[in-house]
Amino acid sequence: MTEFGVATPSITVAGGRPATATGKSLSVVSVRKTYGDVVAVDEASMEIAAGEFVTFLGASGSGKTTTLMMIAGFCEPDSGTITVGDRDVTRLAPQKRGLGFVFQQYLLFPHMTVHENVAFPLTLRGVPKDEIRRRVGETLEIAGLSGFGGRKPRELSGGQQQRVALCRALVYRPPVILMDEPLGALDKKLRDQLQVEIKAIQQELGLTVIYVTHDQEEALVMSDRIAVMRDGLIEQFDTPRELFERPKTPFVADFLGAANFLPGRVLQNTGEHTVVRLDQSGSLLNARRHDLASGTPVTVAVQPGRIRACAADEGFCTGTVETATYVGTLVRAGVRVDGGDASLLRLEVPAGRGPVTGERVGITADPDDVNLFPTEQGG
Amino acid sequence: MATLTGTAPAPARPRRLLASRRTRAGILYALPVVVYLLVLFVYPIFSTLFLSLKSTDGSLTLHWYADALTGVNLSVLFTTIRISAETALFSLVFGFLLANAITRLKPLWAGLAMLIVVVPHFISALVRTYGWIIMLGDQGLVNQALAHLWVPGAPYQLLYNEIGVVIGTTSVMLPYTVLLLYGVMRGVDRRLLAAAASMGAGRVTIFLRVYLPLLAPGLASAGLLSFILSLGYYITPALMGGPKQTMIASLINQQVMKQNQWNGAAAEGVILLLLTFAGLLLVKLVSSLGASRKKRSAS
Repeated sequence: MTEFGVATPSITVAGGRPATATGKSLSVVSVRKTYGDVVAVDEASMEIAAGEFVTFLGASGSGKTTTLMMIAGFCEPDSGTITVGDRDVTRLAPQKRGLGFVFQQYLLFPHMTVHENVAFPLTLRGVPKDEIRRRVGETLEIAGLSGFGGRKPRELSGGQQQRVALCRALVYRPPVILMDEPLGALDKKLRDQLQVEIKAIQQELGLTVIYVTHDQEEALVMSDRIAVMRDGLIEQFDTPRELFERPKTPFVADFLGAANFLPGRVLQNTGEHTVVRLDQSGSLLNARRHDLASGTPVTVAVQPGRIRACAADEGFCTGTVETATYVGTLVRAGVRVDGGDASLLRLEVPAGRGPVTGERVGITADPDDVNLFPTEQGG
Repeated sequence: MATLTGTAPAPARPRRLLASRRTRAGILYALPVVVYLLVLFVYPIFSTLFLSLKSTDGSLTLHWYADALTGVNLSVLFTTIRISAETALFSLVFGFLLANAITRLKPLWAGLAMLIVVVPHFISALVRTYGWIIMLGDQGLVNQALAHLWVPGAPYQLLYNEIGVVIGTTSVMLPYTVLLLYGVMRGVDRRLLAAAASMGAGRVTIFLRVYLPLLAPGLASAGLLSFILSLGYYITPALMGGPKQTMIASLINQQVMKQNQWNGAAAEGVILLLLTFAGLLLVKLVSSLGASRKKRSAS
């Protein structure tokens, strides 16, 4: 399947990406968009490599869709530039950009058959009839839709319709394919399945994909890199692992890792750790080295899955288990920390060794899993 | 009745069906509609049919149909079809332009525009026709304006010919086509057009290959509606046309009022009805042909 119509430029990309990429690189430089007084996107910049799968992740109103629309050409940025390959497309109309687009609502043409839908972008480009037939057939086969060519979109299920929409977007091998919550209208099981399928097709064909979603899990499963967005700003643009383990802001730590936050103050930096004194218990805690001056007020962030229960009075704080919920492979526990505020510290421990309600436990964590944020940052 | 014969493989079945309480209740519910249809549709149509087949001495004959399909009467029939087709075409074109413009307006303005389109429809067709006669006469507003603008050839003959009739009937049919097309256009998902643009389609391509096909069923029904309504239209052609624009409705009027010739009028009426059916059939045929052609090309 790597032979996909015309010869594609062969490029070697680091990081296990396919050697043959049909996708091109994309760069967004200082793009800004305002609606009246509201800043939808504020000075967003990112470099996306050819063949990379990038996700814009954020809640609604975070600017992710606006950024995508500016890349697509459906709305024009107030300032900044957008480049596809080495071509500046900032002021071009959508149809001049040649990008592929998959919409949440599928938007298949209801008066055309599946075959005609997928062939539509090719007919616009004056591709000969025989080649259209061949390429549409190939593309439908990749998506597991062979034999559906003669059907009308309304005769297909939601998942099949979205596969057709995907075929229609990739049949003309656009340099970049944009997807706006394409799986948002499907049920969970189908979504999981299509995530894997889309990712497989993207890797097989070396497509550059920009994907918008508000679902963290979806972003983690599919992406090479994720841009976490909030209030028009890119909070962090990194690989899923970095975002998860080395969040740069409390927001990212919370959004992706659902982290626990504890207030504290930096005591000193040792060889490989930063030692923090927690405000609530007064006890000391080793964190990954952060190079913060001693005395700096910090927020300690640690994910529920990365903290452990130990014997009481060991670890950096002690508390009473207030809730313990069995969720299959895990037990989710809530611990009321001595001297702490009303919120419970959340723990996820393997089922079977789980703490029981009312038990006194100490809390400990690997210093490498503890992140610190200076308190004035982010709020 | 049709359901009974349709679902009766054995002769005992209808009896049992009638005996069941549900069927009896169903018949009771259907009764008002059945009576209504019998009195207002079935009886008049069959009595007209019968009248058209009755000769002066009471025997059955096709004389009136032969009469209706020869000589002057035949040319009236053709005139009727031609003027109706022209009206359908013009009201489709103008209706399309108007409806399309209205869909681009903000909701408030669109509502106002629709009101302006529809309100004339509440005014008597007679009044509107006289309005047109005043506007289109040699000394009327249109010709005066054209003359003042030094348009060569003005004043034009805009009344008592086919131009006059088509202007009049088109203005009458326009609200129907605008209303119908506006509804269909509002139903078109605009994001489909954006999707087409994202794939590289220009405005003309989007219009021809996405927008128009999506509107096709609406265009067909709007065109057919104005065609059928024009077929039997009476006042405007009678007042704004000349002798050459006599349409079938005027002919029926003449036969009944001036010649007291009910049988001939009935035959004309039946022909008018058949024409309407033919129009409906044609549209059905064209759309099903299109569908089967598509199916074949895809497989």
